[in-house]
Amino acid sequence: MAEEYPQKWGMVIDLDVCTGCNACVTACSMENNVSFIGEDENAYGRGMQWMRVQRYWEGEYPDVAPTRQPMLCQQCGHAPCEPVCPVFASLHSEEEHINVQVYNRCIGTRYCANNCPYIARVFNWFDYDLPSPLNFYLNPDVTVRRRSVMEKCTFCVQRIKHGEAAARAEGREVADGEIVPACAQACPTEAIIFGDLTDPESRVSKLTRSQRGFYQYEELGTAPAVVYLKGGGEYGG
Amino acid sequence: MEKLAALWKRPLFRIGLGLFLFLVLAGAVGGIYLTQIPPEQPIQFPHAFHVGVGAQCLYCHPGADSGPVAGLPSSGKCWGCHQQIAKKSPELVKLAGFIERNEPIPWVPVAIQPDFVHFNHQPHVAAGVDCATCHGDVAKMKTAEPQRGQNMGWCLDCHQKMRPQEFLRLGDCATCHY
Repeated sequence: MAEEYPQKWGMVIDLDVCTGCNACVTACSMENNVSFIGEDENAYGRGMQWMRVQRYWEGEYPDVAPTRQPMLCQQCGHAPCEPVCPVFASLHSEEEHINVQVYNRCIGTRYCANNCPYIARVFNWFDYDLPSPLNFYLNPDVTVRRRSVMEKCTFCVQRIKHGEAAARAEGREVADGEIVPACAQACPTEAIIFGDLTDPESRVSKLTRSQRGFYQYEELGTAPAVVYLKGGGEYGG
Repeated sequence: MEKLAALWKRPLFRIGLGLFLFLVLAGAVGGIYLTQIPPEQPIQFPHAFHVGVGAQCLYCHPGADSGPVAGLPSSGKCWGCHQQIAKKSPELVKLAGFIERNEPIPWVPVAIQPDFVHFNHQPHVAAGVDCATCHGDVAKMKTAEPQRGQNMGWCLDCHQKMRPQEFLRLGDCATCHY
């Protein structure tokens, strides 16, 4: 399950410029046919968003300031969700070096979600209605998941596949910045950068080497593909 | 008091069970049969004739070499040629009716994949795979017929045979399932 080679697709989230506007969450939900479940279901903890913006408070009482942290599937190189799946629905894509979720294999044991330290996986507890005309918003490139299926951020693998197919049709390599997931596309402050980590000159590779970078739960050894940048208020570091 | 026979020995139970199993089996056979025959089309389009007079597949299904979906021809595409041809057959009268009413022809797709499978025509056409490899020899068909066994094993078989050196990419789950 662990990767023996450098990861291919990577993401950088710059927490210093993230304003917590939730545009990424909205764009992700629209791109990936994420169900609308309503307030009641959300209150039961059955929220279906593939990414969320976590809010923390910094400082002591009168001088508190919020900090935000977009959280999504970290596409671990050594993913805790993969070895626990009894039916190999959660497994590693050796080609794209991401964790894929094969919906038609998933039988809904939820072991993967219970083993994910990032709480990045969501479960379809029910089939949620999509009254007309909302059904017209569905993205034909993404499977509409059924009840009892686990799902999670895919790094917009449909966009990766389309970008690669388009590049191969023209007989060239995928250019840096050509493939953009929905969250990065929607981010107004360009806090989310996506690209190829195997290319040392790509924008995301350069940012990955920044001194502000850190991984979420690095001590768990999951080898995430998402790097967070935070300078502690000292910019340009 | 008379002792009742065990449930599975009673004739009524056996007849009922037999009937039930027969109905289940008949339903399954009928359902599978329905997926194997050509569906009812609004116009009995003769593929064999059009291929015979030299029409290319890509003329009517132009998406196949540029994108995921090959596409079904609009009525305007048919009319491009048939406007100038005498409407001798009743099928052509139907076509003229669609044109007159300015309605799209509700073609029924024959080669379909489930929602969780994402097939892209373009790389296959670019790799030189003949249309007939997957869709059968339409030069011998009237309306398009579904092909047997278009399943995942069949896809992977071909991927492994044609491009063993690229099987890491072509055998990846995320190639088709996302």
